[in-house]
Amino acid sequence: MRAIIIGCGRMGSGLAETLARRGFQITLVDADATAFERLGASLKVQRIVGVGFDRDVLLEAGVERADALAAVTASDDVNIVTARLARHIFHVPRVVARVYDPRKAAIYHKLGLQTVSTTAWGIQRMMELLSFSHLDVIASLGSGEVDVLELEVPALLVGRTVNDLTVPGEAHVIAITRQGRTFLPTLGTVFQAGDLVHLAASGENHRLAALLG
Amino acid sequence: MNVLIVGGGKVGQGLAETLVRDGHSVTVIENRAEQVATLRHDLTGLTVVVGSGTDPAALEAAGVRQAHVVAAVTGADETNLVVTNLARLEYHAPRVIARVNNPKNAWLFTPDMGVDVAVNQAALIASLIAEQAEERIG
Repeated sequence: MRAIIIGCGRMGSGLAETLARRGFQITLVDADATAFERLGASLKVQRIVGVGFDRDVLLEAGVERADALAAVTASDDVNIVTARLARHIFHVPRVVARVYDPRKAAIYHKLGLQTVSTTAWGIQRMMELLSFSHLDVIASLGSGEVDVLELEVPALLVGRTVNDLTVPGEAHVIAITRQGRTFLPTLGTVFQAGDLVHLAASGENHRLAALLG
Repeated sequence: MNVLIVGGGKVGQGLAETLVRDGHSVTVIENRAEQVATLRHDLTGLTVVVGSGTDPAALEAAGVRQAHVVAAVTGADETNLVVTNLARLEYHAPRVIARVNNPKNAWLFTPDMGVDVAVNQAALIASLIAEQAEERIG
């Protein structure tokens, strides 16, 4: 398989190394010759200095025989123009453009271009990792091995049972406050929207975080 | 007529001046602060939107949906092409004009890229000069 990668930054060079290890024949294009210094000395790839959407550069890179092209320069606009060109004019079978602006990425995706918005993915992942912080620790027992936490029931858990939020030895629901009244639930109690859940949790709470994802 | 100009450098400013003088409603998108200040200082009767011309939010704020003509005249061909893509394919602008900076890129300014008219300044000037030179030689 022959792949062309436009842009030899962190993503371009990393992609080149990974694909080369899998047996791809790689051509890297970057407007800045010093960008290739990122590459490991042992990496056997064709290197071309030039602009990604320059016809001569693409022809030299073998765009007419390429199986795939990834446009991953720091410029959304360069990536988009290069990818569109590769797809529409040179009919490269697989083309992907990295587009930082999530709205632009969505528009081009709709127009038939495969886009990867690292920004949108980053935000999503950060949200997942940070979402644990909405748990308020209201008491820490012993030397902090066990915490008592309080949270408003997440939308995903509405209609699910206390059992779904229970991890034996790690997390137990100890009380639910519903419409101003607090009670001890059973494993079969169903969460309702607006419930305030009191939990006892131990350790790193990793699995609890995943449950609340 | 509503005209949206993307790029408020010398070309964009000159174009805006002419169109305002002719009584058109003109909006310019420009992202360089000093250039925005120049535009606001030198020209009246013109709306300046600060932002990137390839940012859908800036295009919408500049009224791309109401524009009769969109002119992409920044100094970067890739930017002009993304503007023409968005203007035609996403916002369905009736008329889309683009400036070609590097004559090598002229072949990209096609209807498929959303361009109705490409203005290739270097090629234009070259042919004018050649014409003049040939006249002298006779």
